[in-house]
Amino acid sequence: MTDRKPLYLMSPALAWLTAFMVVPCLLILALGFFRRGIYGGIEYTFTLENIALAFDPLYAGIFLKSAWIAGISASIAVVIGYAAAYAIAAAPQRRQATLLFFAVLPFWSNYLVRTYAWIVMLNREGLVAGIATWFGYDGELPKLLYTESAVVVGLVYNYLPFVILACYAPLSRLNPEIAEASRDLGGSGWTTFRRVILPMTVPGIATGFVFVFVLSIGNFVTPALLGGGNFQMIGNLVYAQFLTANDWPFGAALSMFLIAIMMGLLTLQTFATERASGAGREE
Amino acid sequence: MNQPLLSIKKAQKHFGSVRAIDGIDLDIQENEFFALLGASGSGKTTLLRMLAGFEVPDGGQIVLDGQDVSHIPPNKRAVNLMFQSYALFPHMSVFQNIAYGLEMEGLAKAQIKARVDEILEVIQLGDLARRKPDQLSGGQRQRVALARALVKRPRLLLLDEPLGALDKKLRGDMQLELKRIQHEFGITFIIVTHDQEEALVMADRVAILKDGKLLQSGTPREIYEQPGSRFAADFIGVMNFFPVQSSGGTLRAQDGSVIQADAIHMADGPGVAAVRPERLRLDGPGENSMTGTVTATAYHGLDLQVHLKTSAAPDTVVMRLTADAAEARPLSAGDTVTVNWAARDTRAFAD
Repeated sequence: MTDRKPLYLMSPALAWLTAFMVVPCLLILALGFFRRGIYGGIEYTFTLENIALAFDPLYAGIFLKSAWIAGISASIAVVIGYAAAYAIAAAPQRRQATLLFFAVLPFWSNYLVRTYAWIVMLNREGLVAGIATWFGYDGELPKLLYTESAVVVGLVYNYLPFVILACYAPLSRLNPEIAEASRDLGGSGWTTFRRVILPMTVPGIATGFVFVFVLSIGNFVTPALLGGGNFQMIGNLVYAQFLTANDWPFGAALSMFLIAIMMGLLTLQTFATERASGAGREE
Repeated sequence: MNQPLLSIKKAQKHFGSVRAIDGIDLDIQENEFFALLGASGSGKTTLLRMLAGFEVPDGGQIVLDGQDVSHIPPNKRAVNLMFQSYALFPHMSVFQNIAYGLEMEGLAKAQIKARVDEILEVIQLGDLARRKPDQLSGGQRQRVALARALVKRPRLLLLDEPLGALDKKLRGDMQLELKRIQHEFGITFIIVTHDQEEALVMADRVAILKDGKLLQSGTPREIYEQPGSRFAADFIGVMNFFPVQSSGGTLRAQDGSVIQADAIHMADGPGVAAVRPERLRLDGPGENSMTGTVTATAYHGLDLQVHLKTSAAPDTVVMRLTADAAEARPLSAGDTVTVNWAARDTRAFAD
């Protein structure tokens, strides 16, 4: 290598990440292979018990349920977010920045505040119930708050801006003549979307989906607040092991799986984007 | 004359307060190679997009094969457009790009393959059928874009600055190639270009557009030899202009000399007399003459360009001497020469 400048420029960021992210993560992961002390704490004897315990149907079930919730949330977010990004990219150039600003606006408020707002909306005397009553509905409303659906709603809401931004990028870079070429060659509007626009923007969709999935599967705030006390996702389980059960080794073992899932997906997504590279590029 | 393939009737298109197309009438015949020539902003691209169906005229009609197609969307017109950016589908191979339009017609797989293979042969890209567009050179991409539009066998093929992105050498080759293909397929071509040389070389007929209006149309020869306005005269090729005052049909240059012109497109008052560089002769016959000083000569192989300073014109007068004439009378800067030209080669225009 003749030019070492990139390395010099990257080194502060690399040092920071190594010291405060990679090393702590490795320490936590290492904990997973030790025994839990009798009164909490750690006994430094090597064991695979924690790993094995993670495969217990009880915990494996929570993993599956978390993946299910994350998958549903990511799918809904992608559908809504892609449509929004498409509309923004199709708007007149001078309005796009404003529209994007509004799409991302909720992001600048506190996550907890936003999530509490949903409690206000979904509880029995909340906004949704109020609107239903106002429209003359006087029967028993189905339970809205503290359900799986409430968790999905909260996750989709919180991570939607990510998807909009991820999908907007390739959509706004599309050369409009490419869609016109499809129309010119006899493609209807729908065919043009399905065969030309959609395939060319797959990298954005993949990025958005993986973002929401990865952030959702490890989330513990939204399930705790909107899912109610008995609702557990893998994030809550890890949280409980570290802070309530005082079983750091098992918490570490669960984290290991969680991180593995995330890394796997991010790698897949990077790979998919690489493979499709050129697809979103202009001629 | 037969019914024209395409009739543009009083076409109009406004964008806000801008009149992009301001009442254009134009007929184009079957099997013609037609060029729309104009500077940027002349409306030529808008007119082309209107023919393709991407713009709906605000007024007037577009009649194709006797049918008013003004409001027919692009995917339902027997017209195809080769885009300036080529607009190839980057996620599809060369084969898939070309096959796309045929799939839209619902043709059988075997038939599609036969048609695509056939056209790949014509554009000589058979061995690159599996490549993606970003693995092709600019010239190859241009040919794929052409094939993709051509394979649909449209009634009318529109080409938006098709050679604009190619380098000069390749452009020369492709001009002839496009002419050959147009001939071979017998499809009417309408090409949009700002390059007057390209228009003259390729087209059977040329139309000059300016500010959304049709200024003049005709064969390249007519456009070049008989421009109808100062703009057309200036836009096509090189032209010498002598400012003149006209009174009672007599044109007087700024130094007082009289210039005779057979074609006068102006009323009394100020205007210009125009003559092509190749019509100027040294000591030759001709009703008009002037004396000037050689300021520079430029050797162009086929001919010699001579720049003259004269009291009859504020700008440099350009003369093109054939190699023979230049050899018979060697010129160098500072020489004083007398130049003649004929009244039939002279046209006068209003300013």
